[in-house]
Amino acid sequence: MRWLASELHTHTFHSDGRQSLRELAAGAAKLGFDCIALTDHNTMSGLGECELVQQETGVVIIPGMEWTTFHGHMVTMGLQNFVDWRKAGRSDIHEGISMVHGQGGLAGMAHPFRIGSPVCTGCYWEYEISDWNDLDYIEVWSGTFASIKPENQRAFALWTERLNDGIRIAATSGRDWHEQKHTDEPLSVTYLGLDDEPGTISQQAVRALAQGRASVTIGPLITMEAENGGTLYGIGESVSVHNGADLITLHVKIDFFVRRTLWELPEQDFSLKIMGNSGTLAQCAAGSTDQIYEFSIPADGLIWARAELWGIVKGMRTMVAFTNAIYIG
Amino acid sequence: MMMLLNVAGQLDPSDSKRHITYGFQLDQPAAIMRIRFAYWPKLLEDDGQAMELIMESIDSYVAPEHQGPVREGWRRYLPLKNLITLSMDGPNGYRGACHRHDAEQSLFLSEQEASEGLMPGKLALGEWNVTLSVHAVVTERCSYDLSIWTEEADTA
Repeated sequence: MRWLASELHTHTFHSDGRQSLRELAAGAAKLGFDCIALTDHNTMSGLGECELVQQETGVVIIPGMEWTTFHGHMVTMGLQNFVDWRKAGRSDIHEGISMVHGQGGLAGMAHPFRIGSPVCTGCYWEYEISDWNDLDYIEVWSGTFASIKPENQRAFALWTERLNDGIRIAATSGRDWHEQKHTDEPLSVTYLGLDDEPGTISQQAVRALAQGRASVTIGPLITMEAENGGTLYGIGESVSVHNGADLITLHVKIDFFVRRTLWELPEQDFSLKIMGNSGTLAQCAAGSTDQIYEFSIPADGLIWARAELWGIVKGMRTMVAFTNAIYIG
Repeated sequence: MMMLLNVAGQLDPSDSKRHITYGFQLDQPAAIMRIRFAYWPKLLEDDGQAMELIMESIDSYVAPEHQGPVREGWRRYLPLKNLITLSMDGPNGYRGACHRHDAEQSLFLSEQEASEGLMPGKLALGEWNVTLSVHAVVTERCSYDLSIWTEEADTA
């Protein structure tokens, strides 16, 4: 499977960014991204040059728009037509989401715990959600060196709680990238797993996110497959379990060669964890070389599992990468 | 030149999180529609008042266990700003939004080109709307004025 290195939250002069789409895409190419989603605030006017910039830079551009509203910021992408962001009240975001879906788009919460009004109106998510199945994803890592930020840790915990509730919802990173400015802080990448179905790469990327085929990292790419009864299931898929006594085999692959010159982590023993609804399911040390790790996990009571890589980054122990969930049952 | 809309208004903090929509009529074909929008003041200059508002925000939005250090670093959120954004709708649909912090904006729309945030396209005759989205008013008063007019091509 081809994993597309993506940056899913960006802005240009068409809203409050300080860069053109050309500058943004060229900057993304230099940072080793294959794909960006252009998600200007409340407008899609910046997509006028999309085809040309895509050809010039080789970076795939997903059309998107951030609903920058009074009660929350919601990233939408892959839409055919504009959906009005001004109508949704605090208790009726579901109507907005269903219109986004009606236009073939996805809807995700942007930085749900960033400080809100009047510092940043709507940055903190205050829309009432009555059915979490409606939302496609949560941007759990926002900004640079995202994993250490308390608001992102809350977002990550929110995602885990929803998975525990049995909701199938994806998690992404998004830099909320406004300008071409160098930073020494680690940058997150959301890798989207492309299928072989028809469509443009941009459409395949949107479909990957819709199906939860995503893995997030500041360095190596971790992917996972589950095996049960001779069948393999990928990230975002659902393992069918016939018998609670089944043992599911998880194959976790760590690839240290992705964007290899563009990130740096100290040589160390990382810690690879398999997490699920009952907490840590398995754990082992992982060196800084490509390898496949195998775990046997009892299916009984398990509703989801994901892999997490932890290590020391800039002197701090933190999460380095995580996969989206594989669901069970 | 033909003036289509020329309005002014005053807002206070209770207007935060409110959309204000003005309808206007385009009756005659035009090459360019120009929009001038300004609001003031932009910044809350009084650090004492700003600190109070920031502390309220921290209370509401930061997890209790992280509030301590965030309170200490409250100055990173200065200056607090008024923010009003503008979006446009023509008879045939949405024409974009200008979500940015400039307190004075001179914008235009035409068939071939438009200001960033707005979408070029035919200036269809009929009912148009311009919406001011008041994200935040942090000063006691905030005044704005908004004018929209058309011009012929040779004045472009």
